[in-house]
Amino acid sequence: MTRHKTRRFDARTRRRLRTGLLFVSPWVVGFLAFTLYPFLATLFYSFTNYDIVSDARWVGLANYQNLMHDSLFWTALWNTAFYTILEVPLSTVVAIGLAMLLNMKVKGLAIYRTVFYLPTVVPIVASSILWLWLFNPSFGIVNDFLSDVHVSGPGWMFSTLWAKPTFVLLGIWGSGAPMVVYLAALQGVPKEMYEVAYIEGANAWQRIRYVMLPMISPAILFNVILALVACLQYFTQAYVMTQGGPDNSTLFYSLYLYQQAFQDLHLGYASAMAWILFVIVLVITLLLFRSSSRWVYYAGRD
Amino acid sequence: MAGMQKNADTLGTVHLDRLARPVAVAAARKNPGRRRRTLGSIGKHAVLIALGVTFIFPLLWMILTSVKPLPQAVTFPPVWIPHPLDVPNYPQALSAEPFASYFFHTLYYCVTTVVGVLVSGSLVAYGFSRIKWPGRDTLFYVMVATMLLPFIVTLIPLFVLYKEIGWVGSYNPLIIPTFFGSSVFSTFLLRQFFMTIPETLSDAARIDGANEFVIFTRIILPLAKPALATIALFQFIYAWNDFLGPLIYLDKSSLYPISIGLSEFLGQYTTNWPWLMAASTVATLPMIALFFLTQKTFIQGITLTGTKG
Repeated sequence: MTRHKTRRFDARTRRRLRTGLLFVSPWVVGFLAFTLYPFLATLFYSFTNYDIVSDARWVGLANYQNLMHDSLFWTALWNTAFYTILEVPLSTVVAIGLAMLLNMKVKGLAIYRTVFYLPTVVPIVASSILWLWLFNPSFGIVNDFLSDVHVSGPGWMFSTLWAKPTFVLLGIWGSGAPMVVYLAALQGVPKEMYEVAYIEGANAWQRIRYVMLPMISPAILFNVILALVACLQYFTQAYVMTQGGPDNSTLFYSLYLYQQAFQDLHLGYASAMAWILFVIVLVITLLLFRSSSRWVYYAGRD
Repeated sequence: MAGMQKNADTLGTVHLDRLARPVAVAAARKNPGRRRRTLGSIGKHAVLIALGVTFIFPLLWMILTSVKPLPQAVTFPPVWIPHPLDVPNYPQALSAEPFASYFFHTLYYCVTTVVGVLVSGSLVAYGFSRIKWPGRDTLFYVMVATMLLPFIVTLIPLFVLYKEIGWVGSYNPLIIPTFFGSSVFSTFLLRQFFMTIPETLSDAARIDGANEFVIFTRIILPLAKPALATIALFQFIYAWNDFLGPLIYLDKSSLYPISIGLSEFLGQYTTNWPWLMAASTVATLPMIALFFLTQKTFIQGITLTGTKG
């Protein structure tokens, strides 16, 4: 009886396996051809000299060794780290702050939400050109506002000191997307939790720190990981606005990789850069996930 | 109480006080509560309006600049209200480069990849949610993990591959992978949605002898319309915005989409700000129109990505 049952179950399982695989087969084929193959091929190319025109030539670790002595590689890494370290926390704080404001049962919530979200639907090239114009050192409106309060505005995109912060401001302008996620998370926090904390004598900061933040921590983890991966691949805005200038102060990692690969046709060298970026992203996301057990709270799972 | 009054202008405090106030206490102190509430409400709106103006201002400035005669744009301090309105900036800017062709190609790229994402995304999402099979969840985690793989890591061999099979210089590298589940994000989102549909619906159909494909097309897809609309919308916007893909794979200006066209335009007319703003406005308006038309789908979609997981 039992054996019979088990066998029948197996046949059904096999049938389900076949059907299941059939349904996911488009992705399986795509994964093998467009993800796994190129992922491994990049590793192979990174040990070669390759320019598309002639065959790839094995050079061992030479690309990696050369990268270690390439000052532009370090500049690009530094620029990307600088941008990421400013952009991720600032846009997170702004997005949570806006979501908290909108969570206060304000009249006209939908209008405010639209206003804060709207910048994120502007095409990146259009917003990049717009940013060049707003922060134009000679005719830009931002420097006009600054001169109204008797501050002489910097050269923004044309200044080695201010170029990266100008990009960060553009990033913060796009905080509307994570804001919507945080708002949904905040709306899911039961009011009773704040009430209990209030009765127990928790002040406003304590209620934010010990009630609200833990309750929205899964959304924070989700948004921070997305933001990190996006920042480490930052490309389009820099390509459109500065092409890496002035004086390489906005030469971000992906931009330098692009130049190496598609302008100088140093495909092996660029592949080595790509693998280093992969390892960096991997390490950072693993660290975040490992740390998450200490700071991310999943309700109902203790 | 005095301390709280002092804090009344810090919004977080007011907000949380209101939320947290126990009902009994609120009833006992009805009047001071109401006064503080009004104060808080005014402060709240003042901050929201100030922030809102800051967020919306760049777009207004874009439109204002786009209808300025050039001399009024490049002057300091800036002229606020254009006089006269220079509407001809639009036809002039749009005929300075083949914008009609840019728009046509962008639309082609958007529509074909929306189809690709809908077809492959829904099939794969179904296989990852509505059928139980050994190894399913492991494979699903592999798929989710690829979302974190930087685009640039696979870019070089893909370029070499597409070059060898003659796809470079066409939209194939941008379109065909979407029919093979390349938009993992969309598949993931759909799968999350499919998981929320009660299993009993499928079971009932199975008892009636329906096979999985029938259940998929007749039961699950009709129920998933809002989620399908969301991923169609996201893919449309993604394709409209995509810059790096077209930059790498399209080598002829006759094939350029609006994103590349706009950046070419910037290269040509670096200092003609009214024209640049007119072209940027035209590239942006369809997205803003789409957003207003589909706002509900939009917000639902983003919410779905971030909270269910």
